[in-house]
Amino acid sequence: MTWDEVVVSAPLPEVVDQISYERVVMNTGTTWDYVPWHYNPQYAKDHGHPTIFVNTMHLAGFVDRIATGFGGPYSRVVRRKVSLLGSIYAGDSMVARGHVVGKRVDTAADARRYLVDLEVSIFNQRDELCCPATVTIEITGESAGPSR
Amino acid sequence: MGPRAAGERVAGVTADLSYEFAFGTYEDALRMVGTRTEPRFAGTAVSGARIQHFASMVRDPNPAYWDREFAMSAWGGLVAPPALLVGLLMPPPWVPDGEPPIASIAVRVPLPGTAIINASNDAEYLMPVLEGDMLSVVEEVVSVSPEKKTRLGAGHFIETLETYHRGDGAVVAMCTNTLFRFTPAGDR
Repeated sequence: MTWDEVVVSAPLPEVVDQISYERVVMNTGTTWDYVPWHYNPQYAKDHGHPTIFVNTMHLAGFVDRIATGFGGPYSRVVRRKVSLLGSIYAGDSMVARGHVVGKRVDTAADARRYLVDLEVSIFNQRDELCCPATVTIEITGESAGPSR
Repeated sequence: MGPRAAGERVAGVTADLSYEFAFGTYEDALRMVGTRTEPRFAGTAVSGARIQHFASMVRDPNPAYWDREFAMSAWGGLVAPPALLVGLLMPPPWVPDGEPPIASIAVRVPLPGTAIINASNDAEYLMPVLEGDMLSVVEEVVSVSPEKKTRLGAGHFIETLETYHRGDGAVVAMCTNTLFRFTPAGDR
């Protein structure tokens, strides 16, 4: 994917990811975020949750996976805003839907940066919006090669 | 849990964890606005193992995380997933010298709330973080909201700015995070 090829308003492919208990515990292990509601179901229940849930880094990583999956291996995330409206619990599915909201060329720095703005929203399997996000990726311009 | 004197600290999560909340009033919290921490350093360089463990957890096939040859030619080395950056500065939950890990400045803001949950995060990644980079972070308390009532309970939104540096001093990322520090509904 190059910047020239990006079509504003084009939808991104829907991605569904099943979140098992293993994935949530793995989330704690990979991020070193040992707040107990990410690995201890009883603690999570004691704090009003049905069970353990993934942290912000996991949600952001899923958003980034969608974004750079769209932009290709030479793209990178340069900005991401996420809001946490609801949690993704062990046993849930994360469902990502998104679309291209804009593209622009940043000339403020020494080198031109080819940027694409995306909206990616993460829902659970009940279609409840848990994490709306906006992401900007830097992407290959007209010529081949990395965008850095 | 009753009110506590400003600055008094108790285990905020479990007795097994050394991350601690500071307790105090909203006025105590406001006095902390503008406070910046000294740099907090990661104990080790960014490793391919952590990069690929996180990418495996997210199931992200991006070759920048997996294909060393590609990553070297495209980016200069294996790339750390941007979303892992906060985790790369997390202290391990136990260290041999017995010193408790230093918690994020957000949970050291003195407030009455007994629970936390993240509300939003806005991160700007100025350059890729690569395997082998040594990282540090400086945190600043930007604002503390007046008490807000939510479905979770009543509490305060704490906005912090984290600035991440590479070992050579380059700023690699800036991250504004909003944490909700609250007393769960029913606990009051």
